[in-house]
Amino acid sequence: MKHTTFVQLLDLAVGAVLVTSFAALWLRRLATVTRVIAIQGFALAGVAAVIGVYEHETELIAVSVMVAVLRGLVLPGLINRTMRDGDERREVESLINIPASLLAAAVLTLVAYTATRSVVALDDSAQVRAMPLGVAVGLIGILLVVSRRKAVLQIIGVLMLDNGIALVMFLGTSGVPLAIELGVASDVLLAMFILQVLTSRIRTKFGGTDLDQLRELRD
Amino acid sequence: MNPTGIAVALLQAVFVIACAPLLVGWTRLVRARLEGRVGAPIRQPWRDLRKWFVKERMVSEHTGWVFALAPLVLTGSAVLVAALVPSLSTSSALDQVGDLFAVVYLLLLGTVALSLAGLDAGTAFGGMGASREMTITAIAEPTVLVAIFALSVSAGSSNLGVIVADTLSRPSAAASPTNLLALAALAVVTVAETGRIPVDNPSTHLELTMIHEAMTLEFSGPDLAMIELAAHVRLVVFLTLLANLFVPWGIATTAQPLHLLVAAGAVLVKLTVLATIVATVEVFLAKVRLFRVPELLAASFVLAFLAVTASFFLA
Amino acid sequence: MDNVVLALPLAPLLAAVLIAVAGWNRVTAWAAPFASLAVVAGGVALATRVVDKGPVIALDGQLRVDAVSALMIILIGGVAAVTSTYGVAFVGTELRTDATTPERARLYGVLVAVTIAAMTVVVCADNLGLMWVAIETTTVATVLLVGHRRDRSSLEASWKYLVLGSVGIATALLGTVLVYFVARRGGIDASSALDWSALAEHSSALDPDATRVAVGLIIVGYGTKAGLAPLHSWLPDAYSEAPAPVAGLISGALSTMSMYALLRFKVIADLALGPDYVRNLLLVAALGSLVVAASLMITQRDYRRLLAYSSVEHMGLIALAAAVGSPLAMSAALLHMIGNGLAKSVTFSVIGEIRFLTGATLIRDVRGLLRRDPFIGTIFTLGLIALVGLPPFSILASEVAIVRAGIDDGLGWAIAIALAVMMVIFTSVAIHAFNMLLGEASDDHDVGSGAGAHVTPMTGRIALSGGLLVAAVVGITIRPIEQLLSAAAEILAR
Repeated sequence: MKHTTFVQLLDLAVGAVLVTSFAALWLRRLATVTRVIAIQGFALAGVAAVIGVYEHETELIAVSVMVAVLRGLVLPGLINRTMRDGDERREVESLINIPASLLAAAVLTLVAYTATRSVVALDDSAQVRAMPLGVAVGLIGILLVVSRRKAVLQIIGVLMLDNGIALVMFLGTSGVPLAIELGVASDVLLAMFILQVLTSRIRTKFGGTDLDQLRELRD
Repeated sequence: MNPTGIAVALLQAVFVIACAPLLVGWTRLVRARLEGRVGAPIRQPWRDLRKWFVKERMVSEHTGWVFALAPLVLTGSAVLVAALVPSLSTSSALDQVGDLFAVVYLLLLGTVALSLAGLDAGTAFGGMGASREMTITAIAEPTVLVAIFALSVSAGSSNLGVIVADTLSRPSAAASPTNLLALAALAVVTVAETGRIPVDNPSTHLELTMIHEAMTLEFSGPDLAMIELAAHVRLVVFLTLLANLFVPWGIATTAQPLHLLVAAGAVLVKLTVLATIVATVEVFLAKVRLFRVPELLAASFVLAFLAVTASFFLA
Repeated sequence: MDNVVLALPLAPLLAAVLIAVAGWNRVTAWAAPFASLAVVAGGVALATRVVDKGPVIALDGQLRVDAVSALMIILIGGVAAVTSTYGVAFVGTELRTDATTPERARLYGVLVAVTIAAMTVVVCADNLGLMWVAIETTTVATVLLVGHRRDRSSLEASWKYLVLGSVGIATALLGTVLVYFVARRGGIDASSALDWSALAEHSSALDPDATRVAVGLIIVGYGTKAGLAPLHSWLPDAYSEAPAPVAGLISGALSTMSMYALLRFKVIADLALGPDYVRNLLLVAALGSLVVAASLMITQRDYRRLLAYSSVEHMGLIALAAAVGSPLAMSAALLHMIGNGLAKSVTFSVIGEIRFLTGATLIRDVRGLLRRDPFIGTIFTLGLIALVGLPPFSILASEVAIVRAGIDDGLGWAIAIALAVMMVIFTSVAIHAFNMLLGEASDDHDVGSGAGAHVTPMTGRIALSGGLLVAAVVGITIRPIEQLLSAAAEILAR
């Protein structure tokens, strides 16, 4: 693969990951947000695949398949099941309105770039130059967790945070050793399972997963 | 300011003004055919303009000089922008001032003039239309600026001609994330600024759903003709920007007549394609509720912002 | 010796498998306590070896036990032994009073054993990525434990714990990845770029500016998990809603694990950046935690949350000692971890007994505890005495050492603030304790039926008294662990 083609494909894939995280902030229907997160998982797998093909690392290509299955199919499927089991309203409810969240996310992207400037300065390759976008996706995930009232959206926020960090891993290090990658992936999967279990329990106890109702514990 | 340059600028202005109503006629025809109607022929907008030009000009006694001046300002700015935007050639005399900031603020000047006229009429619908238009413009203008700024970063200058020439010389850059994101942002802004579905329905007759039309309710005769012509020209200007900034092949870089002819043909083809897309979108999408429009525009602003980030930090 | 290292996580894992297969009954319930004692024994064996002959390497360099690790293993084993032994009594009482089902008891047993196993891996791992995976495993396992009781408040607590914990640990992962990145760009080989020993050795190759970013993220991430302000908000909810032995385990050992991870990174950061960066960050976190803890303990109404904020306070003190960084301060920090761990495990466990006895969770609903049940009252009193830093328990010694180290190192102003805060905490704990312990024995405020008839089983009594005894012994003389302590402090000091 020629270098210029590699850079173009890489930029497209990384750009897709970032755009999907903004789309998750913008959409109003929960089902569509889940689909967007699935697309983000596939785009993430695409990044790993492109880097793997360019640097001829079969391990990375295997990891990319695993990422596609896990973050593109399994986890969004889990989230879908969590949503479908409940009959609550399917709209996004947020503490800050949608244009404000979009602007906040744009500011967070800038923050990510300034904060990681010294890290990016260590290397001049196209991959490392795109690393701040992974941090930005992570920060947008945290924004989702902090500003959304539905439990499902907080789960999606945590998943997006993990996606962002995985993106940083792929771009900066061409994947950490496979064992760590597997460990991370299995922990993410476990965490998601538990989130789903908790959501169903919350639904049973509280009759809905509006987190505004979870306000009994306070000082 | 050589004579050829001036000639090219005048030629562009005339070309755009001549084609604009025809293109709008084409849009209406496509929409009609898709909706199962026969539709009026393409030259119908020209016939409407000619009809209005000879009709009597009736002005409400409650309006002032703003109302009288607005059509002139609107049309004048539209014609000037038509001359500035590189539709046929990148070597027009106005090239030195063909800066993106000039284009954006000329367009804004026209919008503000029309909104003030809507307020000046003192009617409820005029005020409503003006406030809605200003809300949309407030978010759409920065998006245009930021999106074209993203393009100018990679070209090294905010001069529209230079940007077009730069894309011509680097074909692979046409598919870079910067260009794609800026294209998406500008597409949404085009729809918003020219008052088409999904932001505003240009063929509505229900005043409460109007944005652009509400401001023009009080105009008649030549005033109305000028405003309608300006609206057509603005649509074509936006479409030309979309076409020539992102898919510039065919545009002339000199003032030779043969090249200009080829360029005219190329830009007509591109404009027709874009107009067809606009008409198709109008048929198949529903109008977005007014309180959701800021969300749509905020999304396009964010896309433009991402385009700028991409131009600085990615390849 | 590496077999001993491998046995450390294997013993609790075997206990987990046993409980998973055979369910929770009178025999399998003792699997976890025995596994914990095995961990303690293994820790002691490793400690003697490490002090004499240096670190033990196992599993191809993935696991590395040095003096710090050995000390932590003993701590984990001790806290786990106390809480799992008490847990036998606790779950027994719950099953007897139909507060839980055998299914849930089985899940409880499995998860507690898995948590203990993961904690041993945390302190033995040389690879920082493996350490992260182990900490994440403990988070995932303890979330379900926190929600054991399945009522509304515990569900809320476990949700907050998981979401905020995931955010914290993801931040720590990002920091770890960036450290790997910086190490590779500094020329360290890929296979050892995440190994703590290799990073400590080649610290001069790490770019300072980039390392600053990475270490900052690590401190935020692991600091959240440790319960340092300002990201501690999950802690009071999780500690108060978890079942008593689990709360003892988490507060005694789990938060300490995140602190341990922080200290490991601090060593690398101090070598690569100079001591000031981490010192300033830790000072801010430490003083913030102390102030937050004090202000929320004064007006506290729930005795479980009172203890939870005490955990925040002690983590703040450990962070303060780490900020000072001298060998005396580091040995004080390590001793504080041990003292806090033992005292917390006992005190949180005895709170379970209080709840069984009175059914109440608010301070004002518990009266005359010393007269109603002398055993519970005495244990509670001694536990609180240990936590506020009175003799004969070891927290007094570690606090004095922190004060001395701080003043020696020019951080007198921070020590002054800490002392003022600790005085406030002492007073508020004393007042709340007097309200609960003294007065006429009455069951007027008991909540729910069936309370008031509870007598602590023998197993519970042994566990609680044993824990306090060990804490007292450590307080009276640190002779048995003195060598280990100073060796560990040497490794961690700047």
